[in-house]
Amino acid sequence: MQKPLKTEVSQLLEEAGTFAGQGQREKAYQASLRATTIAPDEPLAWYLRSQNAPSPEEQLMCLSHAYSLAPDHPETRKELHSAVHGLLKQEPFLAYVYETEQFYQVRSGRNLLINIPKNRVFETPYLKKKPGIAQPAFRWLSLALLALFLGGVGAVLFAPVAAFQALRLQASAPTDGERTRLLIVFILAVIIWLAAIPISWLLLIRFYPS
Amino acid sequence: MLIRALYLSALWSAISLFATLVMGSRLRRSDSALSLLWLTGVILAGNLVAIFTFGRLLEIFGLSLLAFGFGLYWIIRLRDWNAAGQVTWTMTLITTALFIVYTFLLTAFSPLNPLSFVFALMFFFLEAITLAMALAHMHESLDVVCRLRWHRLVEKLEPVPGYLPMVSLQVPAYNEPVEVVEKTLKTLAALNYPDFEVLVVDNNTPVQATWRPLEEVCRRLGPNFHCLHLDQWPGYKSGALNFAVTQTDPRAEIIGIIDADYEVDPDFLRELVPAFADPQMAFVQTPQDYSDSTGDVFSESTYRGYKYFFEVSMPSRNERNAIIFAGTMGLIRKSVLEEIGGWDEWCITEDAEASLRILKKGYQSLYINRAFGSGMMPINFEGLKKQRFRWCFGGIQILKKHWEALMPWAHWVDPGNKLTLAQRYYYLVGGLGWFSDVFNLLFAFFLVLGAVFNLFSSPIKVRPLTDTVLIIPAVFLVLHILRFIWVLRNRLKVSADMAVATMYNFFSLGWVVTLACIQGLVQREGVFLRTPKATTSSKTWHAVQVTQWETAIGLICVLVGLLAFGSDRNWRTFSLCLLLIWQGSLYLAAPLYSLLSLKREAAMGVPVRITEQGKPMREQLAARWVVAFSMVLIGTFSLIRFLPNPAGLPDYARFLPADTSDIFQLSTAEPAAGGEDEATATPAGLTPVTPTLPATGTTATITVESANCREKPRPNAGRVVFLYRDQQVEVLGRNNDPANPWWYIKIPDSDETCWLWGMTARLSGPDAGIPVIR
Repeated sequence: MQKPLKTEVSQLLEEAGTFAGQGQREKAYQASLRATTIAPDEPLAWYLRSQNAPSPEEQLMCLSHAYSLAPDHPETRKELHSAVHGLLKQEPFLAYVYETEQFYQVRSGRNLLINIPKNRVFETPYLKKKPGIAQPAFRWLSLALLALFLGGVGAVLFAPVAAFQALRLQASAPTDGERTRLLIVFILAVIIWLAAIPISWLLLIRFYPS
Repeated sequence: MLIRALYLSALWSAISLFATLVMGSRLRRSDSALSLLWLTGVILAGNLVAIFTFGRLLEIFGLSLLAFGFGLYWIIRLRDWNAAGQVTWTMTLITTALFIVYTFLLTAFSPLNPLSFVFALMFFFLEAITLAMALAHMHESLDVVCRLRWHRLVEKLEPVPGYLPMVSLQVPAYNEPVEVVEKTLKTLAALNYPDFEVLVVDNNTPVQATWRPLEEVCRRLGPNFHCLHLDQWPGYKSGALNFAVTQTDPRAEIIGIIDADYEVDPDFLRELVPAFADPQMAFVQTPQDYSDSTGDVFSESTYRGYKYFFEVSMPSRNERNAIIFAGTMGLIRKSVLEEIGGWDEWCITEDAEASLRILKKGYQSLYINRAFGSGMMPINFEGLKKQRFRWCFGGIQILKKHWEALMPWAHWVDPGNKLTLAQRYYYLVGGLGWFSDVFNLLFAFFLVLGAVFNLFSSPIKVRPLTDTVLIIPAVFLVLHILRFIWVLRNRLKVSADMAVATMYNFFSLGWVVTLACIQGLVQREGVFLRTPKATTSSKTWHAVQVTQWETAIGLICVLVGLLAFGSDRNWRTFSLCLLLIWQGSLYLAAPLYSLLSLKREAAMGVPVRITEQGKPMREQLAARWVVAFSMVLIGTFSLIRFLPNPAGLPDYARFLPADTSDIFQLSTAEPAAGGEDEATATPAGLTPVTPTLPATGTTATITVESANCREKPRPNAGRVVFLYRDQQVEVLGRNNDPANPWWYIKIPDSDETCWLWGMTARLSGPDAGIPVIR
C-alpha cells in the first residue's frame, strides 16, 4: 500500500477518507467504488471500499481482494478475520477452491470467493521438496548399503561410485550444509567399502572352496 | 572361549533379570556401593555355576573382570537407576554383543555354498537389528521401572498468578454422530477456565444432515463456540486443522486439540496452561484415556495396550524432552505452530510429526501423566487394525521425511537442527520399532521354510543349527517376554493374565503393522483411515474374514512345526516346533481377538453405518505381494540345493566357533537313506570301538578353542573328552569319507581313544598311510 498512487485515484481515496470521517458513508463508498474501478490493483482502494460497503458480503469481498493484493497489511488481515468470523456465524460452510503459500481461497455458502490468510511460515510440502544436490551420491550409498547385506560384492562396486559422486558434487555444493552432507556421504561410502571387502571376500572364497 | 563367554554372560543376564523381575520395582535405594555389591553378587553367582560346568578358572576370572569393568561404567552412567536395573542392562548388553559376534563367526566361516552364504548373511543382519531393537525395548522398560530419580517428572503444575492466556480448543470431526460431538462440547462448556473458545471443524462430511446439527449445538452452547464445515477440503484432518488455525481468535496464545469423542475434565486447561508461562514451552501432552475399556478381554487388553505407551514410553521420553505430541488432550503454543508452518498435510500422524519439528527448533515439551479426559476406543478388531495401520504408516512417513535429522551427524549438516542425541535416539527407535513386526514375520518365514525343507528330507543349511543358536535365542525370547509382562504388571498394575492378554493384543497386530511398514515405504501419498467408533453391521463371519491372513500365517506356522517334530523326533525339531507354535500363536491371536471384539460391538448399542474417508488399506493387494515375494524367496532358496557345497574342509572353517562340530557333518555329508552313513557307521555289536592300532607317525593339532572328541565319528555320539587349541594328538586311523574326515586318535596321557572331527584339527605328517576304520 506504499506505492505512489495515480493522481485521480489518490484524490478519490482522499475523498473517501474525508467522507468517511464526516460520517457520509454512502459518498465515501461511491468514491472508493470508483477508485477500485479505475485502479483494481490498488489495495488501499479495496480496503477503504470495505470500510463503507453496504453489505457484509461486499465488505468481505473487498477485504479479501485487499488482502490478496497486500497480504502484509495488518489492518486488512485483522478485519478480514472478523468479517469471516461474522460470516461463519451465519453460515458455517466453506468450500476449498485453491491455496497459495500465503492464503486459502474458499467459497462461502453464499457463493462468495474469499481469500483467507494463512498466517504461518510457509513450509514446502514434503512431496514438492526438491532433492538436494547430494541425492545422486545418497542413491549410490543406499545401493551400496543394500548390497552389503546381500553379500558385499555390490557394495565394493557401489561404495566407490558413491564416494566419487560425493567428491564430484563438492565443488558445486551451494551451502556449507550440503558440503558437509557430501563429506559424510564420502566417509560413509569409505566405511561401507571397508566393511564390504571382507564380506565379499567371504562370499568369493565360497566359489573356490578348495 | 567365545562360547563359554556367551553362556556365562547369558547366565549372568538370566540371574540379573530374574532378580530384577522379583525386586526391580521394589528396590528404592540408589547407592553406588549397593550397585557394586549387586554386580559382584551376580558375577559370582554365574561364576559358581560356570566353575562346576566348564571349569577354566582363569578364563572365568578374566571374563568377570571385563564384565565388572563394563558394569562399573554403566553404574556411573545410569546413576538414576537402581542396582537391579544397572546390572541387568550391563549383562543384557554383554550377552547381546557376544551373541552377535558368535552368529557373525558362524555366518562368515560356515562351509556354505555362495547362495547359502548370502541368505545366511541376510539372516545375520536381520538378527542383529532385531536384537538391537530388543535392547531398546529393554532400556525403556528398565528406565521407567528401575528409575529412582526423575528430573522432568511433573505431577501437578503450580498455577502462575495472573497467567491465564486465551486458549482455542479445536474439535476436528468427520462424519461423527451429533450426539457424540455434543457430549464432548458439553464437557468443554463446563471447563473451569476463564478465557477460551471452541472451534468445531467438520471436514468433508458428505451428508449435510450429519454436520448441520452441530451448528445448532454450537449456537446453544454460547458465543465461545464456533462451528465450521469445510467442504472438498484437501489434507484430511491436518488440512482442516491448518485452516482452523486461521480462524482462531487472534488473542488466542494456545491451541488445544480435542477428538470429537472425548469427554474432558473441567480442570484440563487450568491445570495445564501454567506450563506455557515458560516461553520455551511449546507443547504439553497428557495421556489419552478411554471410558469404554471394561467388560471383555478385547476391550481391556486394547485399553492396556494404549496405556503402555502413556505409562512406559512417554515417561521415559519425557526425561529427555523427547515426547510425542499425540494430538488429542494436548496443548500447543499457537506461535510455535505458525513458526513451524502448521500441521503437515502429507503425514497422517501430523501431531507426532509436528512435535519432531518443534523439538528440532530447540523448544521444550512436557508430559503430565494424568488423564484429563476419556474417549472411545475402536469398536472392533477391524477398527483397531485400521488405527494401528494409520499410526504405523505415519511413523514410517516421519522416518522417511526426517531420517537425516535423526542421524548422529545431523548437527553438522544443519546447524539449525537442535535435537539432542537422546531426542534423535528416541525418535529413531520409535520409527524403527515398527519394523520389529516385519522382522518377526521374516523370522517366521525362515523357520517355516527350514521346517518344510526338513520335512521333505532335503535339509538346506543356511546356518548350522548349533546348540548355541537354539539355546541363546530361546533364552532371549523367554527373558524378553518375561520383561514385557513384568513392565506391564508394574506400570499398568494389571494381573498376570491381563498382562499376557495385553501382550498378545500387541502381537496380534503384527501382520497389519508389517503391511503398514511396507506400504509406508513404497507409497508416496498417505492413507487416512479413520478409526470406526460407531458400530457397523459386522457379523461373526466378517470378524473371521478380516483376519484371514493372520489366521493363515498362524495355522501354517503351527502345522509345519507339528509336522516337523512328528516326522523327526529329536530335541532340535522339538525346539523348532516350539518356536513355530509361539510364532503361530502371535498371529492366531488376531482371529481370537476379532471374535472377542464381537462382544464389545454387541454391547455398543444401535448400529450406525459410517463412511470412511481416505484411501483404503490395501490388505488384499499387499498380502498378494507378500505371497509372491515369499514364492520368489522359496524359489531362490531351493536353488541352494542345486549348488555344490564345499568339498572337504575349507581352510576358512578353522575360524568357526568350537561347537559347530556337532552339526557340520549334516551340512556336508548327507546321511544315507537308512539314517546312518555307512562309511562312518560303527558295525553293530562293536560299540564303543577301540581297535588296537599301530602308531602312524601322523599327529593332529587342535586349531579351535576346544573340540569334542567322541565315541563314534558322528556329531551326536557321546563325548569322551575335550581337547584344546594347540594340543597335539596321535592319529591312529580315519573314517572313509574324505569330504568329511574324522580322525581316530589316542587321547594324550591315556590309553583311551576317540574320534576327532577333522575340521577342528590340522594334520602334520603323512596322511596317506592312515588306516581307514570301518
